[in-house]
Amino acid sequence: MSTVVNFENLWCVFEHRSGQLVHALEDVNFRVDPGEFVCVVGRSGHGKTTLLRVLAGLQPPTAGAVKLGETAVSGPGSDRAMVFQQDTVFPWLHVKENVEFGLRANKLPEDERNEITDYWLQAVGLEEFADSWPRELSGGMRKRVALASAMAVGSDVVLMDEPFGSLDYFTRRNLHEVLLNLWFETKKTIFFVTHDIEEALILADRVILLAEGKLVDDIAVTLPRPRNEDVRATPEAVGIFKLILAHLGITEEEATQA
Amino acid sequence: MTTTETDILDVRAAAHRQKRRRQIAYVLYLILGIILSLLMWQLVAAPFSPLFYLVPPPFDAFRHFGENLMFSERMLERYVHACPDLLDELEVAGGGMFDLPDHCFGYIRHLMRTTRNIMIAVTLGTVFGLTVGLSSLVFPRIADVVTPIAGFFGTTPIFIAAPFFVIWFGIEYPLMTTVGVVVFYTTLLMYFFSRRAADNIEVGIIESALTLGGDRRSIFRWVYLPGTIPEIAGGFRIALAGAWGLGTLVEVLGIQMGGGFLIRMWSFAMGLLEGPAAVVSLILFFGVLAVVVDGILVLFIRYITRWSESGRKLGL
Repeated sequence: MSTVVNFENLWCVFEHRSGQLVHALEDVNFRVDPGEFVCVVGRSGHGKTTLLRVLAGLQPPTAGAVKLGETAVSGPGSDRAMVFQQDTVFPWLHVKENVEFGLRANKLPEDERNEITDYWLQAVGLEEFADSWPRELSGGMRKRVALASAMAVGSDVVLMDEPFGSLDYFTRRNLHEVLLNLWFETKKTIFFVTHDIEEALILADRVILLAEGKLVDDIAVTLPRPRNEDVRATPEAVGIFKLILAHLGITEEEATQA
Repeated sequence: MTTTETDILDVRAAAHRQKRRRQIAYVLYLILGIILSLLMWQLVAAPFSPLFYLVPPPFDAFRHFGENLMFSERMLERYVHACPDLLDELEVAGGGMFDLPDHCFGYIRHLMRTTRNIMIAVTLGTVFGLTVGLSSLVFPRIADVVTPIAGFFGTTPIFIAAPFFVIWFGIEYPLMTTVGVVVFYTTLLMYFFSRRAADNIEVGIIESALTLGGDRRSIFRWVYLPGTIPEIAGGFRIALAGAWGLGTLVEVLGIQMGGGFLIRMWSFAMGLLEGPAAVVSLILFFGVLAVVVDGILVLFIRYITRWSESGRKLGL
């Protein structure tokens, strides 16, 4: 795993119907080393998803560039597989065929495809559901299928746009564990967009804070793992939590109410 | 308390019984609906009804159909044959019209002709419409060219276009005329349905396929093709249902062959006792045929869209 990701003077500006210019990203600069788990945190509409979409190649930047190593991103590709917020599992393919999709698209031979697919299905605990239709699975299980599909394709970088946002607390916690296990095992670089500060503290090595399209802070999270409730209650964790709140302009009262 | 295998079997058996009960109820309600419709029909056709002279009782319509299906005395009287190769048949018969074999005068040949023409036309129209519609997903330029043209013809009501086809091809070429109208209608419908089906695939799914390494070809094969099936299948049902009426209507307009022709022939004899029974029986035939074909189609669609909730629920 050797791909360094560089965001260089990245701007993304949209024109609103009224003619007003909306600065989704403003001069964003940072570098992510291979194998890092980066959480991008910010309020809704402050550029988190745009940042990820530019990295995925689904949105061209207005100025600047995102580089993987020395190569600027110019379009989507299987070297940056993405797990989306909404349900993007192909409903017409069996679970196994879903995981196989990227491998098939990349023209891997059948034996190899089967081997990789079986491995990732087992890794996310869905080997018994290989021949099920997605409609027969719960929301959490479908997220596991999406995760396995993204991991199976073999990319160094995995992008996740609030993937667990629609799930209940227990399913989310369970998927955090699954994701962290996969990350420990593969050491892929993970970009994880969330507006949930607690989720970022559980998962991330680094938290990139975006506010109104600008990078306002880049916080290293050095808490020991696994980050259970006790770890998250330490003064260091609470300090990071408060710092993020302050950057986002949220008072502690507001955070408690939320 | 723990769940045992016996409990699970009980739950499964109960679910199976429930499904079976639902199926039986469906069939019973269907039969009840048919009986009620027949009763209402009988009431409308009763001597005290103002429609008495126009609507025959159900039994009369069924009897007429049965009596004229293989050989129709009435058609023989009117020298209305149903032999496409009349000269050959006459040569074999060695005499005049009265020496022709019975099958030349039955409804069956006309009805089969209409059924065949409509099937050919719907198949051709579906192939044309889907080929253009689905190709335009891979080559968007095709859509740029075809959509305005299809949009123009799509706004022309088919009941205005139908007489145009009759005038254009004339009544001497019944196959061209009937098939032409239905192909025209089916092609447009299937083109629009395939485009709409593709538009309705969520952008997130396409983007997900792209980030997994999907190229134009693999996305077409694994995303667009299967993802558009439910809507295309729905469009096909609509096209086929419309085609029965449209094909018959074109024959009513002037073709010398087919079920529509029989309806036209009998419409001139509506004042006679047998006239209404004949017309109603022929309309009923196409109605029942359409329902039966649609039923078979529903079972097939249910199978090919078994991955979707709506596909699973389709049918029983």
